[in-house]
Amino acid sequence: MIEEEEDILTILKILVIGESDVGKSSLLIRFTDDTFQEGMPATIGMDFKAKVVKVDNNNVKLAIWDTAGSERFRSLTPNFYRGAHGAILVYDVTKRETFDKLDTWLNELNAYQTRDVVKMLVGNKIDKENRLVSKEEGLRWAQKHKTLFIEASARTREGVKTAFEELVEKIIQTPGLWEATSKRANIRLDEKGETKSTWCQGWCA
Amino acid sequence: MEALLEDYVSSEDLRRFERRYYDELGKGSVKPSTVFEYSWALIRSRFEHEVKKGIILLEQLCFEGEDEAKRDYLFYLSIANTKIGEYQRALDCTRKFLAAEPNNRQAQELEKIIKERLRRESLKGMAIVGGAAALVVGGLVGIGMALSKKH
Repeated sequence: MIEEEEDILTILKILVIGESDVGKSSLLIRFTDDTFQEGMPATIGMDFKAKVVKVDNNNVKLAIWDTAGSERFRSLTPNFYRGAHGAILVYDVTKRETFDKLDTWLNELNAYQTRDVVKMLVGNKIDKENRLVSKEEGLRWAQKHKTLFIEASARTREGVKTAFEELVEKIIQTPGLWEATSKRANIRLDEKGETKSTWCQGWCA
Repeated sequence: MEALLEDYVSSEDLRRFERRYYDELGKGSVKPSTVFEYSWALIRSRFEHEVKKGIILLEQLCFEGEDEAKRDYLFYLSIANTKIGEYQRALDCTRKFLAAEPNNRQAQELEKIIKERLRRESLKGMAIVGGAAALVVGGLVGIGMALSKKH
């Protein structure tokens, strides 16, 4: 990491959730490493990536938790939902059942949250020709559940960067949702005798 | 990936999975998914004895568990062994895993971390051996000097 800790305005915890094989890891890897792997293997449990992005001239560090969509991890991954500032809900525009399951994911997310989480709905795989879920349907769902919305393709890059950036901008614009990671905050924590290390803020809450 | 090695289970989560495990055990048979959930909580403990207990359960699952979940067992066995510093065993697990899924990014990243830790470990070992050798030499020189002063 090049940036010094003082240059980071805040650390935000972001979740990526949705059914198996909708392209959660592919979207993330496209965003963090700008690569695309054909036939990406199913994520085991969860994966983690950090990335620093610039929002209104401020550096914001994203701690992104990519969760397995597999049924086998359904009871384990919600443990990681706590303390999230934002969530990316992903479906595959060529598989209607992944769109139909969005309600379940949203309920799960809300059940494990103690505060408001900014959500971004992402319809992935728009490069494919056999689309089954229209853009209008995605938009309607997003409006109904008050989430942001974008269609994207991890393969072609389209929409990927915007999806993450708009989510982060919205979080930063929401007062009370995040705390600045300033030196003063660290000192205050020390005075209170907190044992939590500062890097942990927002990452592992 | 480092973050996964630094991630710890809350005691309430651990107790929750533990209760489920012992409930089923009391009824005569434990579902592989319950064993896995419990072992997954155990290996995220801060206490080595709990991590080791998780390792034993995961090793059992490798033989008795669900076929499609074998990759999960192997991967977390590697994570758990890395956490307690059993790097050779951890490497055995990632090698086995990568033999089946050579392009798995998570396993590749984990393997890289284990190799790096092994390298650091061996450097540290060399430094300790080197330091001990220096102490011995220093001691001998001291004795020599003391003896020569006596004469």
